[in-house]
Amino acid sequence: MSVLSNIRFLLHHAIRVELRNRHGIAGLLVFAVAAVYTCYQVTGTHAEQESWNALAWVVLLFAGFNAVSKPWADDDEGVRAFLVHTVRPQEWLIARTLYYMLLLGTVSTVTFATFLLFLGMDHLSGWTAVHYYAGVLLTSTALASLLAMIQALASRAGGGFSLIAVLGLPLILPVILVSTRYGGDLMRGIAFADTAHHLLFLATLTAGFSALGYILFPYLWRD
Amino acid sequence: MHMIQRSWKIGGIALLAYVFWTTFTVPLGPGLLELRNLERAAVVDGLDRKVAAYELIGLGTHWATRPEDLSVVLRKKENLTSLPVVEVIDDTHAVIGLAIPDTLPSRSWDVLINHPVDGTLFLQNGLFLNGVSVDETATWPALTLTEFPADLPHHFPFQPRIFETIRNLMLHVPMWFTMFLLMGIAFVASIRQLSQTSGGSSLFDLRAEASVQVGMVFGVLGLLTGSLWARYTWGAWWVDDPQLNGALVTVLVYAGYLILRGSVEDERLKARLSAVYNLFAFVILMILLMVLPRFTESLHPGKGGNPGFNSYDLDSSLRAVFYPAVLGWMLLGTWMYRIRLQATQLNQKLHRLNDQ
Repeated sequence: MSVLSNIRFLLHHAIRVELRNRHGIAGLLVFAVAAVYTCYQVTGTHAEQESWNALAWVVLLFAGFNAVSKPWADDDEGVRAFLVHTVRPQEWLIARTLYYMLLLGTVSTVTFATFLLFLGMDHLSGWTAVHYYAGVLLTSTALASLLAMIQALASRAGGGFSLIAVLGLPLILPVILVSTRYGGDLMRGIAFADTAHHLLFLATLTAGFSALGYILFPYLWRD
Repeated sequence: MHMIQRSWKIGGIALLAYVFWTTFTVPLGPGLLELRNLERAAVVDGLDRKVAAYELIGLGTHWATRPEDLSVVLRKKENLTSLPVVEVIDDTHAVIGLAIPDTLPSRSWDVLINHPVDGTLFLQNGLFLNGVSVDETATWPALTLTEFPADLPHHFPFQPRIFETIRNLMLHVPMWFTMFLLMGIAFVASIRQLSQTSGGSSLFDLRAEASVQVGMVFGVLGLLTGSLWARYTWGAWWVDDPQLNGALVTVLVYAGYLILRGSVEDERLKARLSAVYNLFAFVILMILLMVLPRFTESLHPGKGGNPGFNSYDLDSSLRAVFYPAVLGWMLLGTWMYRIRLQATQLNQKLHRLNDQ
């Protein structure tokens, strides 16, 4: 099989497993909605600009971490031993990254929509909301590209959720620093063109993480 | 061979002894603190009308010696004008007369002094005038100002707001450089660990571990010295600044590295996984401390576009201590790393003997 069809197969497989076992993704969405509702209980629709921005990113970040930290069938030693002999490690990593991009994109879209629904759009209007959403999507892409690697690393180390958080959170902080600054800029009314370099930086980080993962992943996977 | 090994250690200690001695004994040079409006009039010889009195305050200046040679000048671009000195109160206080015309080229002026002992000192935007009309084409009588250095023994330069804390340059900055060096050693060791064929030894892994451990010590020391400095110059133990965020995140990332090592039992797997994570960590370190501060505004000295050497406002008196400090701290760091590596290797040997 060619590389592309391998990746397509692995991606299809991941999505099929996810959809077959619907309580997994439902659990993520319940987590996200509950987190947003908790914020709503505290601030109502009158959150200050800074609080709104902070709450949005905290909820998005933890919804994302939650999404990637659930155990995988592939993490099982037997399944991994089978996959090691059937596909190249990079193919597996690319499929996993693409799948995480889809998953995190979905989760953060639902989370962000719920957030807008409950906490109101006082600070974002029209195109600003669209630009903010573009930031959310790019952030979840960057998260996906890094966490695909970190999740594999943590599961190899046998550490589970706490290890993903310990290893992943510090590494993801540069992304969060850039996205929170971007969101804050948009809400303060700074023109999109003057703050768009943050998006470029997010894309660069994503590319960097992916390249690093592509190079290093084989070392992680082999025995 | 032993002689060479010993000599670089002795050299490092000697350098650090010199650095500590000079850092805490070389005096700070003179500087200007403030030009304060006294809200009263002053009489100046040769002028029949009264003029506003201002008090010029210096730090570490010597105006009481040869007070007649103290001259004060206002400057805005090419416009220079001399101000009469009404009275020199003591070494650091003098009363200046200021006759303000109705139309000025600018509202804010740099204040300069010339004094035979203190040399030329200046206070940027030291004078701000309210209630005058500004006409940028207006000129004041041209004046030539000869700048000359202070006639004082070896001293550190005076920097506004930084004052005595400039000494931190010899501790804080070389500590971060040493951390960079150690993390660089760990980075190279991790690459070599990964590139050797499977079944190889874990020597490089132990090297990476030892240098990250010692690097963390220097990173934490760098955070502490920076925090102390920030308390005195910025007024807070911690501020939201790209450089500071980057430093903290870097330390957290390497803490993650040490935690990862602690959570894997199998030696070979541990060597491989931690090497992979370490490469990520070093790239993040580079992004956070070398790349990101160039693109964002930062309050940190030497930052704001160019985190390079020249922007530290290093003069020869600082360089004479700073370069030895960098070398001395790096030698100390390398020495600590070697000791740590030997200790880990001995420990491992001991465990192996115990197992048998």
